[in-house]
Amino acid sequence: MTYQEFKESVIREAKARKIAEYEIYYTESESTTVEIFQEEVKGYSTESSLGVCFRCVVNERAGYASTEDLSEEEAVSIVDRALANAGSIESETKALLHKKGDHYEKVSETQKEEVSGAELVETALGVQRKLYQADSRVTDGTQTYLAQGREKYALYNSNGLDLEDRAAYTQCVAVSVVKDGEEMNNGMADKMGAMKEIDIDALVAEAVEDAVSAIGAEGVASGKYPVVFSGKAMASLLMTFASVFSAEEVQKGLSLLKDKEGEKIAADCVTIVDDPRYPGSAVKRSFDGEGVAAYAKNVVEDGTLNTLLYNLATAEKAGVKSTGNASKPSYASVVGISPFTFYIKPGEVSREELFRKAGSGIYVTSLQGLHAGANPVTGDFSLAASGFLVEDGCKAKPVKGFTVADNFYALLKKVVSVGSDLELVHGRVGAPSVLVEEITVGGK
Amino acid sequence: MLSRELLKEALRRALATGADYAEVFAEHTRSKWIELVSEKVDAIGDNVISGVGIRIFKGTRCVSGSASSLEPSAVLQCASRVAEALADSAQVEDLVLRERIFGDVHPVKIVPGDVANSEKIDYMREACLAAREQSGEIVQTNGRIQEVDHKILIATSEGLLTQDRQIRTRLFVEAVASADGENQTGMIAPGARKGIELFDDFDPRELGRKAAAQAVTMLHAGYVSAGVMPVAIENGFGGVIFHEACGHSLEASAVALGQSQFVGKLGQQIANPKVTAIDDGTIPNGWGSVNIDDEGTPSQKNVLIENGILKSYMVDKLNGRRLGMASTGSSRRQSYQYEPTSRMTNTYIAAGEDRDEDIISSIEYGLYAKEMGGGSVNPVTGEFNFAVREGYLIRNGKICEPVRGASLVGKGSEIIQKIDMVGKNVARGQGMCGASSGSIPTDVGQPLIRVSSITVGGR
Repeated sequence: MTYQEFKESVIREAKARKIAEYEIYYTESESTTVEIFQEEVKGYSTESSLGVCFRCVVNERAGYASTEDLSEEEAVSIVDRALANAGSIESETKALLHKKGDHYEKVSETQKEEVSGAELVETALGVQRKLYQADSRVTDGTQTYLAQGREKYALYNSNGLDLEDRAAYTQCVAVSVVKDGEEMNNGMADKMGAMKEIDIDALVAEAVEDAVSAIGAEGVASGKYPVVFSGKAMASLLMTFASVFSAEEVQKGLSLLKDKEGEKIAADCVTIVDDPRYPGSAVKRSFDGEGVAAYAKNVVEDGTLNTLLYNLATAEKAGVKSTGNASKPSYASVVGISPFTFYIKPGEVSREELFRKAGSGIYVTSLQGLHAGANPVTGDFSLAASGFLVEDGCKAKPVKGFTVADNFYALLKKVVSVGSDLELVHGRVGAPSVLVEEITVGGK
Repeated sequence: MLSRELLKEALRRALATGADYAEVFAEHTRSKWIELVSEKVDAIGDNVISGVGIRIFKGTRCVSGSASSLEPSAVLQCASRVAEALADSAQVEDLVLRERIFGDVHPVKIVPGDVANSEKIDYMREACLAAREQSGEIVQTNGRIQEVDHKILIATSEGLLTQDRQIRTRLFVEAVASADGENQTGMIAPGARKGIELFDDFDPRELGRKAAAQAVTMLHAGYVSAGVMPVAIENGFGGVIFHEACGHSLEASAVALGQSQFVGKLGQQIANPKVTAIDDGTIPNGWGSVNIDDEGTPSQKNVLIENGILKSYMVDKLNGRRLGMASTGSSRRQSYQYEPTSRMTNTYIAAGEDRDEDIISSIEYGLYAKEMGGGSVNPVTGEFNFAVREGYLIRNGKICEPVRGASLVGKGSEIIQKIDMVGKNVARGQGMCGASSGSIPTDVGQPLIRVSSITVGGR
């Protein structure tokens, strides 16, 4: 059956069980992905997916159930399952459904691009050819991915909210592998946006430069150094620790930002923004995972923590208004909290100026092992890194195989200067290059 | 799940434009998790996944498609959409599907879906309460029980029709210890290809106590100083070192594309002669075990490295075509939405002959990694990084004070040469492994081993 029919069945079943408060959340997506290896199409896939989540609130407790099987039988089953699950919840957090009355910003309709499968393949093959042409050391293993997709999010609840957002995107990822003698390195670049806006030459240059520049990289001596993080490296660190700004983590005691709103938590030069409709992001949203209007805000402003990120339940607990950051990474997810496009606001200093300020130190361009070597509860991280030495205020020879270890909370306060070169990762998280004083480096 | 007639029609349509192989993978999965925060039920997830993934090959070219529906019209539409990507036309001969039943060596006594929430909650609460009571420094506990009932069906143009039902259950207990504004966590997370009878394998209070003890130990640990040193890595989840540093590079998906440090090394000495490593998907009730892989090939025990010599890769059908090798029953996918590829199942370093006490006493100054955290690896360079969840310094052959913040950094091909002592007692630990075909359950394992020198990150 169609979603509309399924939705009506679910509403009927909910009414039959006298469930007064409930919500139906629906997503559907379609995508086509092309993968090029050597000079051939290695993979071509089309995906069409959908899912429905039913959430009911009974005695202030939320019960969830989800399905991809839009049948009459499942319409009955998800209502029953959600009701039973609501009865098992013991958390004292009061579950809430959003009410009507918000003003929803109209999301500018993303340019609908009807690029055919054949065109996608041609474009991807073109990127791959350019990767091989960019440097004679580019070798097999080099791959191009080009994906195009559309998404739809819909939310209906028993308070009369009935919302829908649509988005379309194109994403191109170039992975280069270079071989120089026995040494192999890889590099990556990724861009999102409308197909015609993607600068393919810049993408290719970035992916190849990323791999080539690491040729001949050596270790570094253990010690404490001033470190310049590249925008990408800093963004990956911010992404890993983004959860510490969640009111849910704070209220559960899993973030050290408890009672820090209004206080300095970072150096004066640090401003961190959350924007649901950032111009460079492919997916722009008008409402969050609970149907609250989404808006842009400075989470950290000139070093001061302005606000945590809230959904309805955590806002109620703290006696504030939701910041419209309820998240559902998938239709089936329990409502959590996350930023939309989350980025450190760029400053006015060039990267070269940061190198000059660092004098002698390390320029970290890549961090690995973020899911394992970083602990958001404590803020501690110890991560494998690669990059370049900074000598006499300039970028010097490549280095790899070392670790950088510090604490995220401490690092925010140790930022000396913020660059002007914002880089966005997956359209979701961004940062400019950033100079940080004294970080522990483990190497030779 | 799908009728034989529908499967035949879908395969016929998928082959219509000249593919030489077609495969239909259908799935219906029920999963549930219950999460306790500080001993109270905080959230429950309760999901049904249902859909089809269709692939066709022409030579080494692969086209795939998926749809979140098992309705005949959606399945056939998906098959046609996949076929459209190939431009040729072909005369498809009548297909005969013959069902094969490979058997199930993983008995399940209590299907999780048949057990009420309350029974699962009682068990997890007992574990969390034990963690809480272990020490006044425990400020929070997190418990989670996760169950999956995964039904799959595979039909191919080779005439194969087969099914499997994979039931898995896993228990997580995490304790957070706090003092002077600092937090440390301890965790234990056993799982198996079993139902709720998994409760009989573990005393919940013991799980809670172990998680809490680890958190408290690490809370009072100092930071390790960075440097290069010998490291003794304990059995069980310590096997993540091999999984990350070598296992991924032995997957045909990496080898066939030249993205592996072990390309062209079959038959060569790639590891220390003390190292024998195995990927075995047939271990009864093993967390990473499968009766059949996600292409319908029966799982098998694959010796990857024997006495340091590279014996086999882990191969799926598509990469097998690229490499000219037969499938080793290693093709896996998270769900119908992912294209399957070669992956690990239960991977471990086999028992050696060194005594544990000899391994420790051989180290003058180094690190004893009692519990490893997760890690990641760059398959091209083999460079890896993983966290030490619970570590201790070794001085003069004796395990001394705990240290925190340590990570192990190195290169797979170098580290396996440096595994120069291998203990006798193999244990396995459970994990979820993420790669291109999604997140799948895998076991890692090993006895206590010594790595003669490795970079330890710290501060």
